[in-house]
Amino acid sequence: MPVKSGSLLNLGPYDGVRFAMTEQRSLAARRGLTASARNARVAGVGGPGLRRGGAGMSDGLVVLDAGFIRSWIRAAAEELAAARDHLTQLDAAIGDADHGVNMDRGMQAALAALEDGADAPPGRLLLAVGNAIVLKVGGAAGPLYGSAFRAAGTTIGEDLVFDGEGLLAALRAGLEGIQRLGAAVEGDKTIVDAWLPAVAAFERELRSGGSTAEAAARAAVAAEEGARETIPMQARKGRASYLGPRSIGHQDPGATSTAILFQALARTARALGT
Amino acid sequence: MGRRTADGAERGTIRSVERAARILRELGSGAGRLGVTELSERLGIAKGTIHGLLRTLERQELVEQDPETGKYRLGPVMLQLGNAFLDAHELRSRSLLWADSLAQRVTEAVRVGILNGPRVLIVHHVFRPDDSVQILEVGASIPWNASALGKAIVAFLEPDRRAALLAGELPRLTGRTVTDPKELARVLERVAADGFAVEDQEGIVGEGEIAAPIFDHRGLPVGAIGIAGPVERLLPDGPDPHLVAAVKQVARNLSREMGAGRAAARGG
Repeated sequence: MPVKSGSLLNLGPYDGVRFAMTEQRSLAARRGLTASARNARVAGVGGPGLRRGGAGMSDGLVVLDAGFIRSWIRAAAEELAAARDHLTQLDAAIGDADHGVNMDRGMQAALAALEDGADAPPGRLLLAVGNAIVLKVGGAAGPLYGSAFRAAGTTIGEDLVFDGEGLLAALRAGLEGIQRLGAAVEGDKTIVDAWLPAVAAFERELRSGGSTAEAAARAAVAAEEGARETIPMQARKGRASYLGPRSIGHQDPGATSTAILFQALARTARALGT
Repeated sequence: MGRRTADGAERGTIRSVERAARILRELGSGAGRLGVTELSERLGIAKGTIHGLLRTLERQELVEQDPETGKYRLGPVMLQLGNAFLDAHELRSRSLLWADSLAQRVTEAVRVGILNGPRVLIVHHVFRPDDSVQILEVGASIPWNASALGKAIVAFLEPDRRAALLAGELPRLTGRTVTDPKELARVLERVAADGFAVEDQEGIVGEGEIAAPIFDHRGLPVGAIGIAGPVERLLPDGPDPHLVAAVKQVARNLSREMGAGRAAARGG
């Protein structure tokens, strides 16, 4: 099985035995991943192109690793920085007008955490990103996004690589982390209104045979739609709920930043190719 | 309870007034603008009747019609009535200066609330004295169990009223909201012993409040005053003792102004 263009696994200092134990998903996925991963190793691929990209792909099977997480966080930091003023404007209508600044500060801290965790496996990187966000971001966004990244990291655990199913499990764990903390459900005009449909769309696409990149693209569209659908909602959670009916007619800033996170995820997955 | 007619009006009351009030409540429920047909369906009242009631309410400026859609919403007089209600509250007028000086002293936001059924109504809110953008929370209505203000008030109510509130609905606003009546009863005992209540992300993720009850001449709580802000500043390692002392002091002073005796004003 030839490994396509520049596929690569950042195996780091870990040994192959440990690597072989990493996949605990469906039998088919496990077989496929292990085979392609071994091939990648045997083939000795690991060119610089892939190292940067952060994932490898073989016969349509994308293998995600720490490099993928790094690329995602970098893309998210970039896009959230660009959206800073927009997010702040949205927040000025129904909140404290600090969401853009908060998210930008949080992602800068997340980038610093990436630097510190040079050799960390993907799960640990996500944990470090979550911790950095909790520490640096005030208001509700810090604890909520922080717990989301932490839960996602815990789900990936010590695995060096994961696949689309693993990413789905991590995204779902992130949603659960947010809901555990905030107790919000769909329709409350919160992050959940973007994150929940994104996870559902990601899963639908994977189940119908789509690639990780296709699933991430669907998730980004669903998150964007979910964020827009918060406009006519009356906030039932958070400070915006204090406004009662006056919260109607404004897009939720948290749902909007979530849509940006998923856009960054889609962009990162697309860049790896399928 | 008196006998009721088919549409829920109590005998001895005037049905059209009752119906007009139901229309106002429906328009104020957050549904936004409603048309005659929607109101008729929601309230189970004939369209013709709704139309007549709306025209009467519109003449009194209690509702207004959107010229483009023809739908109705609450009118400008409602705002005047709401403000009049708040102004009529002695606690609010007396708390203005105290709340302001407390906010200046601790450089955090200060809120004053009263109990309105099972919810706390924010009647006064002083912004955190920095240049940040903040939204005015006056008029916000928060489930008592998710609020330090609510817990500070309920802990000092007569036992039967407290028991009724504990037996009532206890909504969850965050993962940390206490919704188990037994646990909440223990929390209230602690509040009663300490003379202040703490809210640790139970109303809003990331936000906390430290509140103390304000008593009237009967020694009953008429409301509460609280310092609100990010949990990392208010409850860095449990409630900041300086903030606790500051809010209790102001609550005592306010209680004295409200005519509370020394024992009640001490908070218990």
